[in-house]
Formats: sequence, C-alpha cells, structure tokens
Amino acid sequence: MSQNVLVELSDALADAAEKAGNATVLVNARRRMPASGIAYASDLILTADHVVEREEGIKVILADGAEISARVAGRDAGSDLAVLKLERAAGTVAEATKSPARLGQIALALGRPSPDGIEASLGTVSAIGGPIRTGRGGMLERYLRTDSISYPGFSGGPLVAADGTILGLNTSGLANGAAVTVPADIAWRIADTLVTHGRIKRGYLGIRSQAVELPEASQKALQREQAAGLLIMGIEKDSPAAKGGLIVGDILVGVAGEPVIHHDELFARLDGDVVGKSTPIDILRGGQPQTLNVMIGEK
Amino acid sequence: MNFNGTFTQVIDELVQRVMPSLVVVRGHRFGAGAGIVWDAEGLILTNNHVVGRHNPIVVLQDNREYESRLLARDPDVDLALLSIDATGLTPLKPAPGSPRVGEMVFAFGHPWGQRNTVTRGIVSALVSAQNRRGEKLPVVRSDVPLAPGNSGGPLVNAKGEVVGINAMIVGGDQSVSIAASVAIEFVNKARRDGTSVRRKSEPVPNDVI
Repeated sequence: MSQNVLVELSDALADAAEKAGNATVLVNARRRMPASGIAYASDLILTADHVVEREEGIKVILADGAEISARVAGRDAGSDLAVLKLERAAGTVAEATKSPARLGQIALALGRPSPDGIEASLGTVSAIGGPIRTGRGGMLERYLRTDSISYPGFSGGPLVAADGTILGLNTSGLANGAAVTVPADIAWRIADTLVTHGRIKRGYLGIRSQAVELPEASQKALQREQAAGLLIMGIEKDSPAAKGGLIVGDILVGVAGEPVIHHDELFARLDGDVVGKSTPIDILRGGQPQTLNVMIGEK
Repeated sequence: MNFNGTFTQVIDELVQRVMPSLVVVRGHRFGAGAGIVWDAEGLILTNNHVVGRHNPIVVLQDNREYESRLLARDPDVDLALLSIDATGLTPLKPAPGSPRVGEMVFAFGHPWGQRNTVTRGIVSALVSAQNRRGEKLPVVRSDVPLAPGNSGGPLVNAKGEVVGINAMIVGGDQSVSIAASVAIEFVNKARRDGTSVRRKSEPVPNDVI
C-alpha cells in the first residue's frame, strides 16, 4: 500500500512530462543546436527571443515529429520572449497554470532540443523574486528560479507543475546565462501583446536621476507619506522631459498619479500604455509640488 | 493527504529491496565498480569497462568475496556477464517495457568508492547512442548524479525494477544508463551461446578448487 505513494508520484511526474511535452516543440532558428518552445495557441509558439537568431527559414518540430515553417509574429528582447506564427495550425496547446508557483513546489523543466523526443529535469522552485531589470534592457515584475538542470537547448521550454500545467518559460538569456523562468501569467500577457502589436513598447523620458530621501517638510507639501523621490541630475537634449519642462534639480515623485520612489518603479510606470500620451509627472521644485504634463516618448 | 513519514518509509522499503542485489566488482588493475545480481544462481551483470583484463572479484552485501568467471563481454554495449559460485542470491527484475520521461529513478552504486550509495533523479530523455559497430543502442539519460564507481550498477524505477545499467557520465550533469532491454538481450545471447563463450574465458582458481 505505502509502496503506491512513490509509484504514484513517479507516474504523476511522467504524466506531467507527457502532457506538457505534447505542447513543447523544437525551435530551429539559430545555427548551433535548436532550442525549445511552447505551443501557446494552435498556430502560435512562444519561445525565448535570444534563440531566434534569424527570421528566415525558421522550422518548428512538433511532438508528433511534424516539421512546420514559422515566421516571427513578435519579439521582445527586454523580456527575452518571442512569438512564432506557424504556417498551419497544429497540435496540442499548452495549459498555463491557474495557481502561481510556490516556493518549494516540485517542478519539471522540459525541452525538445532534438527530434528524438522530449527531455526533462526535476527540481523545486527555489526562489521567487522580482522586479528585476533584465540584462537585455527590460523589466520583469516577477521571476522564478529552480534547482532543476537546464540542459542545452532548454531555453524557450516550459517549467511544468506536477499536474502538467505550465508554470513559466525557461530561459538562460535574461541573467547572464543562468536559468530563469518567466512566470506563465507574465509570459502569456507579453505574448498577447506581441501577437497584437509585434513588439513591446517602452516609455522614454530622457532623464538621469538619483533616489533621494524626502524631508518631512516636502512630504507635508506633497500631502502624502513618501520616503523618497528621484532627484533629476541630467536631462537629455530634445528629450520628452526637456520638452515637457522638467529641469535639473526637480525631484520626480510620481507618474500618472502613482508615487515613484525608486528607479525600477519609474521604469515600470513608463510601460507601453503611456507611450505617446501626455502623462502627468509629479515633481517637487523648490520644495513645492507641481505637476507637468509630459508627452512620453518611446525607447 | 498526510505524507508525513510516508515517503521516507517507501524509499526505505525500496532501498531494502534493491540493495541486496548490489555488488562490488573489483578489477585487478582498475578501480572498483558496481554490479547487479541477475539471477539467484550467481549471474552478475556489470559494465565491460569495469571488468578489465582479468576475472574480477565480486563482493556481496554480506562482504563475502568471490573470484568470478567471465561468461561473456561485449565492449560495444559495455556489458559483461560474470558468474560466481554462490546460490540463493536475490536478483533484480528488469522493468517490463521502456521507462517514461519524467519518471523517478534511483541509481545504486559505489560512487568514488563510497559503498552502497543511492542517488535519485528522473528519466531525462530516451535516446540512442551509436556504438563502434554503428549500431543504435537505446540508452536512458537521467539527471541522477553518477560518478566513477556507479558503473555497472542498476538504475531502478519506483518499483525497484531495473530500467538501466549505469554506464557513463557525460558533462557532469547528465548520466547515461544502458537500457534494460539491451541487458536482457545481452544476457539471453550469452546464455544461448554460453558454452562457446565459456570456452574462451580463462580458467580461474575457483574452477580448480
């Protein structure tokens, strides 16, 4: 009887590998060994941007061995994600998890770097972190790390929960070669945008700044408790900030009504939604709060 | 479900069941490897590269040592079949059919000379390796940590059935085991052609005594 627990777990892991493996494809878009991808819709493959080294002659091999040509539907270096559009619809579609990854949870890293079959490695979710700036100029609100082994060609493949649902997309392209997992909800959301717009817009202000503490008097003037803001140290010529009237010495304390106390927050606020729009920027100038409307540019 | 202690218990049971079938195979020139008790009458399966040039010594779990007789060897599948004059041994059963990617596996052996070590992992990939004859050899790749001394030992599934014979260490993080199907075929062939193979093997002191 007690024997069954181990056998059941073993069977469950093999079932999970099989289920998610059917939606894990081989992506051949670079000269050296192929990488992996996730069937995110019947004709769309989500993969890592860095493994797509060419946009011509991309081949995808499905779990059943069928080879299909694909083209790039959208890509974003910042989050290291790319969506490929298959020439024809095919195969099983991956199921993203409904419950976010938990620390300590068992997870399988899957890949299909060769036509021989699916490959797997077992580990646990060993860290959940973020937000971080990626090495590729993007921002990831959340990321996962695991202690599973990322075999060559695993980039673009899924991290899979014990029930066979997808926890995220594995890539070695975001953190200097170390394996990181982009959580499924974020990866799917970015993929949606990539399918619609082909790219991810990132806002541009054109300032250099440093986080500074706000004295109590400034906080009183702001009429809110905010421990820090961003002291503007430099403004690029003809930048949106310059055109919007920001000057060196201003302390940026908010964007679109939301307080900003850290560079990463500014980065996060300047997302695709504000690009090309006149956006209220809250500042302290000479200790007094002001709001300037700045037309946010695009990077 | 309350798992408290359950896993420890089932893994302990698994180890208790498999361990009696694990032996040390000590070559004369090479370091020690592992071997598997393949039947109750003293057939021992191990890697060809563990055997070296002479009949190796086989050490059972109760520390009894036997000079072995080499019944068959095949460098192209890296397997060797030994025989020792012992009976009533506890053999392992090979798993029926091929393992599945993702299933749990346990390697038994003596990595770096550490006797009776168990390491855990999953089946990473089912692939084939080409041998010197150009034949495709089915192998089981796993993320089980293996080291020298694991060679010739069993890779078992959650039921304690042999899914592979641990053979090679590739790049440090991916281990390779010869599929159990290859081992079954090798042993069957050796049994079939037994006499001719046996004639080729050198006489050993055991035969004289």
